[in-house]
Amino acid sequence: MNLKELYQEIILEHGKNPRNLRKTENFNKDAKGNNPLCGDNVHVYLKLNDQRKVEDISFEGSGCAISMASASIMTDLIKGKSDNEAKEIIEDFLGMIKENPELKNKILKEDDKTKLMCLSGVKQYPMRVKCATLSWHTLVSAMENHGKQISTED
Amino acid sequence: MNLNDIKKEFPIFDDKIQNNDLVYLDSANSSQKPKLVIDRINEFYTKQFSNVGRSVHYLAVAATNLYENTRTSVQKYINAKDKNEIVFTKGATEALNLVANTLGQKYLNEGDEIILTELEHHSNYVPWHYLRKSKNIKINFAEINDDGEIPIENIEKLITPKTKVIAINHLSNVTGAILPIKEITQLAHSKEIMVVVDGCQGAPHLKLDMQDLDCDFYAISCHKMYGPTGLGILYGKKKWLEELPPYQGGGGMIKEVKKDRITYGDLPNKYEAGTMATAQVIAFDQSIKFLESIGIDNVIKHEKELIEYGQEILRKNNSVKLIGSPKNKGGVLSFTIKGVHPHDIATILDEDGVAIRAGHHCCQILHDKLGISASARASIGIYNTKEDFDQLNESINKCKKIFEIK
Repeated sequence: MNLKELYQEIILEHGKNPRNLRKTENFNKDAKGNNPLCGDNVHVYLKLNDQRKVEDISFEGSGCAISMASASIMTDLIKGKSDNEAKEIIEDFLGMIKENPELKNKILKEDDKTKLMCLSGVKQYPMRVKCATLSWHTLVSAMENHGKQISTED
Repeated sequence: MNLNDIKKEFPIFDDKIQNNDLVYLDSANSSQKPKLVIDRINEFYTKQFSNVGRSVHYLAVAATNLYENTRTSVQKYINAKDKNEIVFTKGATEALNLVANTLGQKYLNEGDEIILTELEHHSNYVPWHYLRKSKNIKINFAEINDDGEIPIENIEKLITPKTKVIAINHLSNVTGAILPIKEITQLAHSKEIMVVVDGCQGAPHLKLDMQDLDCDFYAISCHKMYGPTGLGILYGKKKWLEELPPYQGGGGMIKEVKKDRITYGDLPNKYEAGTMATAQVIAFDQSIKFLESIGIDNVIKHEKELIEYGQEILRKNNSVKLIGSPKNKGGVLSFTIKGVHPHDIATILDEDGVAIRAGHHCCQILHDKLGISASARASIGIYNTKEDFDQLNESINKCKKIFEIK
């Protein structure tokens, strides 16, 4: 894996123009996350409707290209999914970043999986893994509704 | 010693790092080690090892002498009046904690005030913050000016009759500003305020003369000074070290221990509880010798030329923004690139073997003030060359290309 594969066009593009970088109106779940090592922070907002479907998801915050792209792609892919589907995708993504070579879920379409796999380049940069996973851990916290602030150093 | 060949003294530069020649620009974080320091640790453990200050056998006495030789070398290097004003610690962080803690025990009272600056590293803020919590001490921060300096007036206007301590860095690890310690000490002493200096960045790069600076305490980080990790030095004026209570209790720091009373050892043992970083202390003597063999005036001249060169190159590079432009500046260049996060810069530079630091450099107060969460920092040591800055600039341009920045 070389640098070109980490800073791919899709990551640079999402990093520069993050999707859903705003605050969901009438959100009913949210959580904050921060990475004290670099000072980056993210706030994830979620609106789950009565059918337990993610009606809207958004985030606020600042960070490096990897963390912004990861949050951007995450919100794009989670929107419209049921909470169970969302949890499966999150678990699959975190498993892939941690150790699995591929994504296993059958929920996402192939081209959506490709977007997520672009982030697999961080595996070669252990110090940067946290950049890619912060928003995802924060989403877990929001969904579980324990309101606990996520820190990469806990 | 020819400074152009000095890289040869540092084995880290002998081999490629991930197929690249190492361009090490992270010396404010920690310096690389000369071969003679590395060899000294090996030699001590191989042929001379024993604990110090306790046993009477041959090796113990020899090791104790070596250990004390370093104390004398440090005393001479920093021109302290007395050998017993040199206390070994596990790092500059411990040295600063020692000062804050013992002053809190004996010297500072509720309502007293301490002046820090917005440039301080967390290790010269957090230990004082403990006193804010435990003793209701007030902390005031002297502000930076637009150049990233602390003008002495900004300290002076914070002084009140309750000010007891001014704790300041010698050289900022972010803006590179060199603080006028001597003038600050004169001002402080005229008002019976003591001065504690975080000398982590000053000690490796500036001429040290404790009697001239006249500060009350000065903390040194040995691993930033071409020495081993796990070792720091606290210089403290004898009258303070004698008056203040011990910091940690344990073996080696006592005079007499009874069930109902304990008396403490004389200086410097009073502050050196437990088995110290013996090999590191003994090897640090070589770091001092190394610096002496170059001569601090040559170090200063070389590093000044280098940093001026680096500053000029980065200034010419569009979209690179330097943080601070102090008139009196040490070997630190912090910068941002609009549109690229410092961590992305650091990762991309690393691909070319250019090692820099990205983050808040343990200076969140300063970064908050500057309105940024992080910055990239290139910092130099005696082994750096102009070519290192050329490579830095080239890699920055590559970074800009990846992020499509002009």
